[in-house]
Amino acid sequence: MTQRLKHIIKKARLVNIIIYVVLILMSYQFLYPLMRMVSLSLMSERDIINPTVNWLPKSLTFNNLRVALDNLALEKTLVNSLWYSSLLALCQTLVSSLTGYAFARYNFKFKKFWFGMALMTFIIPTPVVIIPRTMLFTVVQENVTQMFGTPIPQIVMAVFGQGIYSAILILIFYNFVRMIPKVLDEAAEIDGANAAQTFFHITLRMSLSTILLVFMFSFVWNWNETYITSTFLRNRIELLPERLRIFDSIFATYGQNYGAGQGSAQMRINEAYKMSATLISILPMLAVYMLVQKQFIKGIENAGITGE
Amino acid sequence: MSRPVKKMKYMERRHNLLGYAFMLPWIAGFLIFTAWPFIYTFILSFHDVSLTVEGWQTAFTGINNYNTAFFRNTEFMPAIISFLIMEATYAPTIIVISFILALLLNRGLKFRAGFRALFFLPVIVMSGPVLFQLMDTGSAANTGIEGMTLFNMVYQFSSPVAEGLAYLFENYSMVLWFTGIPIVLFISGLQKIDNGVLEAAKIDAATSWQILWKITVPIIKPIILVAAIFTVVQLGIYQLNPVMDMIQTAIYNSVSGLGLASAFAWVYSFIELAIVGVAFLFLRDAKEQPIKILKRSERRRAGQ
Repeated sequence: MTQRLKHIIKKARLVNIIIYVVLILMSYQFLYPLMRMVSLSLMSERDIINPTVNWLPKSLTFNNLRVALDNLALEKTLVNSLWYSSLLALCQTLVSSLTGYAFARYNFKFKKFWFGMALMTFIIPTPVVIIPRTMLFTVVQENVTQMFGTPIPQIVMAVFGQGIYSAILILIFYNFVRMIPKVLDEAAEIDGANAAQTFFHITLRMSLSTILLVFMFSFVWNWNETYITSTFLRNRIELLPERLRIFDSIFATYGQNYGAGQGSAQMRINEAYKMSATLISILPMLAVYMLVQKQFIKGIENAGITGE
Repeated sequence: MSRPVKKMKYMERRHNLLGYAFMLPWIAGFLIFTAWPFIYTFILSFHDVSLTVEGWQTAFTGINNYNTAFFRNTEFMPAIISFLIMEATYAPTIIVISFILALLLNRGLKFRAGFRALFFLPVIVMSGPVLFQLMDTGSAANTGIEGMTLFNMVYQFSSPVAEGLAYLFENYSMVLWFTGIPIVLFISGLQKIDNGVLEAAKIDAATSWQILWKITVPIIKPIILVAAIFTVVQLGIYQLNPVMDMIQTAIYNSVSGLGLASAFAWVYSFIELAIVGVAFLFLRDAKEQPIKILKRSERRRAGQ
């Protein structure tokens, strides 16, 4: 009997070791781009050209990072990206709390239809709606006031619940509000609160953590979104990811100043600059992730996207 | 008798009124910025659209734009095909890998939280430009599959399959980066599986392999559907696929105009929605067959 037990334990341990090996190999693949960013950004020109230097630079240098910093115009783009994403996230949080609350608390007519439509907004590809949206804002621009190059179009769309991944934010609120006991609402109503008061003073007060979570998600997604943003902002307000997108063309004009070599060596050095710029541009998001990593994963888990 | 009915009516009205009051901004936005554009793009695709001093001018051209898209434009069809190859190779790989990783992470391992945090990390840092730079510098994968003997054997056997494989491994790390959210969805699904069912299966001497296919996969099927839709949509969003770029360029091209861009966008969206539809058809049925608890007499009959 004990021998059998020992056998089972041995087998389990072996299985565990195999699992660890698989997970570590996978992690290596996951992190490979990041590791390359870090490694390339710290290499000196000679290390980059040297084919025997693979991961660890022989001599550390921060030159690549400095060049990338200059070309990203970080002091400007970082601040722009921060306020722009925060603003849109604020609008999105507000409207998805209203919508999620309506779905969770009221049995209005055609509720199922609207719920389905909310999910559809997630599935409908952006290109199919962006053309009429552009046309609409062009008409407004010609008749009222400047639209393109200002944050107005995206703010309007966010306020009316058509920002990026709005459906998921609504789902997160919907599932949270459903968990709040209805008795609390009823108690407030008996005490004479109207619907708006119940919503603001009872529900929103109780869902502070959810509000924060939705805000963070929206912030990250708006930060990383470039398709709609570039269509409406036309780079009039320079944002960090957008700057990274056109980094190559900026670099082509300024690049000569840094006196790199010719041909393939030049290309490899460019690679190092590009990876440095990419690394810098994702650092703010990495910092956010370090802070609220657990909440993010919990948030997706509890979003009820899996349809229970 | 009449009072409860009146009260019901009142409650119903109240729910309708307040429900729609809270829904109002979203519904307005949905109609203006999503529903109407969705239909209008379809209408535009049959028109010639140009911006003049008097505003937008449209002229009906029939299926001319579609003709251009499919037959005259030499770049559109190759772009669509490569988008299809991408969805066909990336999406199943992402689903399978994230399911396997979720299964592994669902065991009580040490550093489980660490691995989970790591696999979720790309969700936060992934953006179009980041992916573009990574692919542009060849940092999206470390495998040179073209040199492998096995790959060459596959190539001899069937070159489209080999091309698909090459496409997949060219950006292998990028493919992994899309597994972030599916992994979390799968883990939360796995944790909801009733332990009693698994234990009962074990007592009946089912192997882990049998448990996986007979219990875990059927229970988790709805989540596979959600993860599949999520993945297809995610793959469509990023400018990994050339079609997005083509549509973007067409929008700014004043010669061909927005009509052609609309036709591009519509064809692209139709294909993406069709892929979602296919995923739905394949993975849907699990929910429609609730486990039937047999009465004793029926059980006896079934046993005979």
